[in-house]
Amino acid sequence: MASGQDSSGTTLMDLITSDPSATSTAGASSQQQSSSGVGGSLLGKPVAPTADRKSKKGTLTQIQNETISAAKALNPVKPVSYAQLVRSIHELAATCDQKSSQRQLVNSVFPKLAVYNSVDPSVAPSLLMLHQQCEDRNVLRYVYYYLARILSDNGSQGLSAAGGIPTPNWDALADIDAVGGVTRADVVPRIVDQLSAESSSDDVEFHARRLAALKALTSCSTSSSEMMEKLNEIVFGILEKVADTKQKRKKGIFTKQGGDKESIVRGNLQYASLSSLRRLPLDPGNQPFLHRAVQGIEFSDPVAVRHALSIISEIAAKDPYSVAMALGKSAQPGGALQDILHLHDVLARVYLAKLCHSISRARVLDQRPDIKSQYSSLLYQLLLDPSDRVCFEAINCVLGKGDNTESTEDRAGGWIRLTREILKLPEAPSVASKGVLSKSSEKSSKARRPQPLIKLVMRRLESSFRSFSRPVLHAAARVVQEMGKSRAAAFALGAYDEGASLNVESLDSDLENPMAEATRKPNLLSNGHGGMDTIAGLLASLMEVVRTTVACECVYVRAMVIKALIWMQNPHESFEELKSIIACELSDPAWPSSLLNDVLLTLHARFKATPDMAVTLLEIARIFATKVPGKIDADVLQLLWKTCLVGAGPDGKHTALEAVTIVLDLPPPQPGSMSGLTSVDMVSASDPKSAMALQRLVQAAVWFLGENANYAASEYAWESATPPGTALMMLDADKMVAAASSRNPTLASALTRLQRCAFSGSWEIRIAAVQALTTIAIRSGEPYRLQIYEFLHALALGGVQSNFSELQLSNGENQGASGTGLGSLIIPMLKVLDEMYRAQDDLARDIRQHDNSKQEWSDEELKELYETHERLLDFVSLFCFVPRAKYLPLGPTSAKLIEIYRNRHNISASGGLSDPAVATGISDLMYESKEVQKETNTVQSGIDPDLAMAWAAGLEDDVWANNAPAVDKVKDFLAGAGTDAPDVDDEEYMNSRPSVGYDDMWAKTILETYDAEEDDGRYSGGSSPESTGSVETSISSHFGGMNYPSLFSSKPSSHGATQQTIREEPPSYSTSVLQRKESFENPLAGRGGRSFGSHEDEDKSSGNPQSGKALYDFTAGGDDELNLITGEEVEIEYEVDGWYYVKKRRPGRDGKMAGLVPVLYVSS
Amino acid sequence: MILAVLFANSDGNILIERFHGVPAEERLHWRSFLVKLGSENLKGSKNEELHVASHKSVSIVYTTIGDVCLYIVGKDEYDELALAEVIFAITSAVKDVCGKPPTERLFLDKYGRICLCLDEIVWQGLLENTEKDRVRRLTRLKPPVEP
Repeated sequence: MASGQDSSGTTLMDLITSDPSATSTAGASSQQQSSSGVGGSLLGKPVAPTADRKSKKGTLTQIQNETISAAKALNPVKPVSYAQLVRSIHELAATCDQKSSQRQLVNSVFPKLAVYNSVDPSVAPSLLMLHQQCEDRNVLRYVYYYLARILSDNGSQGLSAAGGIPTPNWDALADIDAVGGVTRADVVPRIVDQLSAESSSDDVEFHARRLAALKALTSCSTSSSEMMEKLNEIVFGILEKVADTKQKRKKGIFTKQGGDKESIVRGNLQYASLSSLRRLPLDPGNQPFLHRAVQGIEFSDPVAVRHALSIISEIAAKDPYSVAMALGKSAQPGGALQDILHLHDVLARVYLAKLCHSISRARVLDQRPDIKSQYSSLLYQLLLDPSDRVCFEAINCVLGKGDNTESTEDRAGGWIRLTREILKLPEAPSVASKGVLSKSSEKSSKARRPQPLIKLVMRRLESSFRSFSRPVLHAAARVVQEMGKSRAAAFALGAYDEGASLNVESLDSDLENPMAEATRKPNLLSNGHGGMDTIAGLLASLMEVVRTTVACECVYVRAMVIKALIWMQNPHESFEELKSIIACELSDPAWPSSLLNDVLLTLHARFKATPDMAVTLLEIARIFATKVPGKIDADVLQLLWKTCLVGAGPDGKHTALEAVTIVLDLPPPQPGSMSGLTSVDMVSASDPKSAMALQRLVQAAVWFLGENANYAASEYAWESATPPGTALMMLDADKMVAAASSRNPTLASALTRLQRCAFSGSWEIRIAAVQALTTIAIRSGEPYRLQIYEFLHALALGGVQSNFSELQLSNGENQGASGTGLGSLIIPMLKVLDEMYRAQDDLARDIRQHDNSKQEWSDEELKELYETHERLLDFVSLFCFVPRAKYLPLGPTSAKLIEIYRNRHNISASGGLSDPAVATGISDLMYESKEVQKETNTVQSGIDPDLAMAWAAGLEDDVWANNAPAVDKVKDFLAGAGTDAPDVDDEEYMNSRPSVGYDDMWAKTILETYDAEEDDGRYSGGSSPESTGSVETSISSHFGGMNYPSLFSSKPSSHGATQQTIREEPPSYSTSVLQRKESFENPLAGRGGRSFGSHEDEDKSSGNPQSGKALYDFTAGGDDELNLITGEEVEIEYEVDGWYYVKKRRPGRDGKMAGLVPVLYVSS
Repeated sequence: MILAVLFANSDGNILIERFHGVPAEERLHWRSFLVKLGSENLKGSKNEELHVASHKSVSIVYTTIGDVCLYIVGKDEYDELALAEVIFAITSAVKDVCGKPPTERLFLDKYGRICLCLDEIVWQGLLENTEKDRVRRLTRLKPPVEP
């Protein structure tokens, strides 16, 4: 922005004032102007210390004085600076009775002043003088304009709702300026008084001024209750006089010509008063308010009617009953609402549709089916409206679309309404009796035959899709999308019946049907031809048209069409066509990343509506992952993977996992050689940026596979029936793999993929793959654990690397002298597995010995066994989450012995609570975390996949809430939120704008701070659509999903850790970003234990002291550590990377009260 | 709610802007976003041909009129089609004031009058008057319907 300022010094004021004769003046003043902006640049920022302001104010005055003199000297008739303009107003106001002054005001002073955002209060006296004394309409119109600006200027640093060159905070400046400073507080009451007096005057000759005064008054801030009261009083006063008219309204176009003077003046006043009423805060409980609004629908002025309807429809959304009662007979044939169908105002009819929707769906009106049917009939008639806007609104209303809070039942009901109901026009006395409107009566006679709604709608949409207008196409696609949503809802509730033919007689719906009357009439439509007359047939032909719209050159229209196609996609239909459409689309570089992410979020929403489609949607999401890895938000993609996997159901899990991990099978992208690809499976990563992003995505997929393979394969060590080792140990590796894959192909294929990744791919991917393998090894039973053990062992030695590397293309990276370079990483993992196997061997030996000697296990032996069990559990928990209550590191055979020991010593099996891993929230799989929560309540329950599935089918929102920042995005999207500003993808553009409008006027300092903020906003603004293209963001977000487990950290298993922190506090992006970045720069940094500086902050900040108990003895290893004795009670202050900072109740033997202890040593 | 009405010249200089319900800190983003949209799509576009865009639940309709680009952002009932109505009202008022699709110079010459028209068409984020005769009368401080 700042550079743009340099590239061209023109300002809007320059543009306006520039003409050949005054170039020099304009140039000079432009400089002055931009420096005077320094004073004005206080806008939107907390005002600097007073001393600073004073000096700035000083400079401002000085500069402006100089400007004036300079300008006067050069060109006395062309005032250009703000100060000059204001001075001219003062001067000209004094002589406003002269024609020349008026002309000068209207032609040069006021228009130029309009460039500014607001005028300072010191102008107000002159404006008020003009208001009183001047008679020229043009001058007065500007006076009202500026008075409204002063009123609306809420005083907060000169940035009012309206735009213009930002002006200083006038009040702040006036405060400093001790001599004759005028603040808003001084002038606003005067302005309000003068305008109120005028707007209450009854002089017919001046009623135009009265309207303008009333309008200006409505701009005053709604926060002042005094002002609102006054405005209320005025508006209701006017309505009192003009609203109670029994005169029948003449319609639309005829209003202008006919009518006596009195009724026209009344009409104008009605317009002005309703327009003001619309700006008053809505007052649902207030009967007079509603009454006046209801009267408004009979007014002669179409804009007044529109405002009245918008007020009523808003109240109806909150309180349909009283609105229906207040409207009384208006909805009946011949009533006022029927007339609105022919009113020449599009938005009025839109509000009518909303109103009908609210009332016809209101539960409180269930006792009054007659009222409801009147309103639905009106709504259905709006489907015939000539305006697309109205028709589409009516379709959306029929479909049950509300404000995004509607329930699935509402939506499903909407679909049923659309497919089953019939539009039967009333006998139309309103049209027939009025006779004059031949056009509309012709139309309605054409359409008078009862028509199924669906047919009308389909025909209308099809013709809209043939339009050349982009807004129409966009809107039509949006309607189709809404249709898909309702259809999905109907499908979800089992109320879906696509094959139904449109035979009206068969339409006796089982749902409540307000149009039952109409539906019972025989339909004139021929039926039984199948094809076109079934809903499926109609839909098919519509979708054909929709698909052709993909050819539109506007990306936004295409995006909407794709969303519509996603929503209209049926779980049982082939989605090949959709897939290829999307694949083609994504090859187009014109797609901005915000749009792509929008489509991705649509996939989420679609999945939520129909969990059955998980696999389909994953397949589609895969296209995004491969085609545009650099443009999509990896967090959102991962969330989609996860939710789809959980939602895919027992049968679909394998396919779902395949769909995710297919990413891993892709050859590494080779920059530059990717032109002309059409295949879905090919990677388009033609530039280094997206190649990088793809790599991150692969990394994420690897991590995902490791975390979720066991779930997908339903293979859990603690449920494995195979006794560990023994027989299988004897088999050689090939047979073992064969045995494994025959038992569980899902897990076997996941393992194969991961093994391949551990060799090929980049360093980061290899690390992630090894960690994923360890996770699977720990969680799976045999033979998988052994298989992985063997593999890791080989990897650590690096001996077999050469065999494997031939299988896959190396990426050219030096694999490291020690074979894989992963040795240091693998060894601790192997150690865990070694320990487990050794312990299992020992156990087997002990059991054999006991069996041989027919000897009972002594308590001592059991204790030893139990301690080994616990030790291994702790060890294992460092690598990944396992359910403590069920997990048996010593194998299934140990279950009985441990049970005995537990019973004997009354040890609760629910390790869930005291499990440090669980307590700090490393559990990642959603179902598991859910289970863990349950464990806290019910003592003995582990992970039951069936239960998990039952939960997954429900996919409650609260579970979503626990997850990641991506969840916020998804939720925002589902809630239809998002009016925040978009961000521009490349900053290049913003910097290189050839010349900048107002920006020149802004002080450099402000611009600079703004830029800095913007950079922060890049991370803090989760809702900004921008920047997904930037590599940095996608890297960091990937790492959000895959922090590396740290051996010594209490938060080993990555994703969960992030989740937990988010659950605890509002997502503090900056800290997590910090952490993410750190882990990116040095993936092993986490291993250092305490090097996660960011955790420190997070945990400190969440510090509610928690009490805990020492589980074991601990000897301090340093000055900051604390000795513990088993059973000692402590208060946990906060946690730092696997260490608790605890306080004892009383000093220990060494005299220390507080210090660090390992998390594992304390139960919290 | 009509969130923003924005006029810019073909170089991306903003000539008139009216925001409603947009926090001050987001306005800069909107400006750049809209101007970028225009620079990418309005080159070679026909006069008054409507373009559409969206951002989350917000619709954007924009067009060129003479040398000037006009962008309108709206949400809720002001979807792309309603915004098309708004844009039509504004363009016809601008043409009425300028007498033809304006050049940048002409637009700036009529700056004050255009601001007044805009004031009558979009008032506090809501569409007010759409007919150009009515707008013309109101900007001259005459009643909307002449007695």
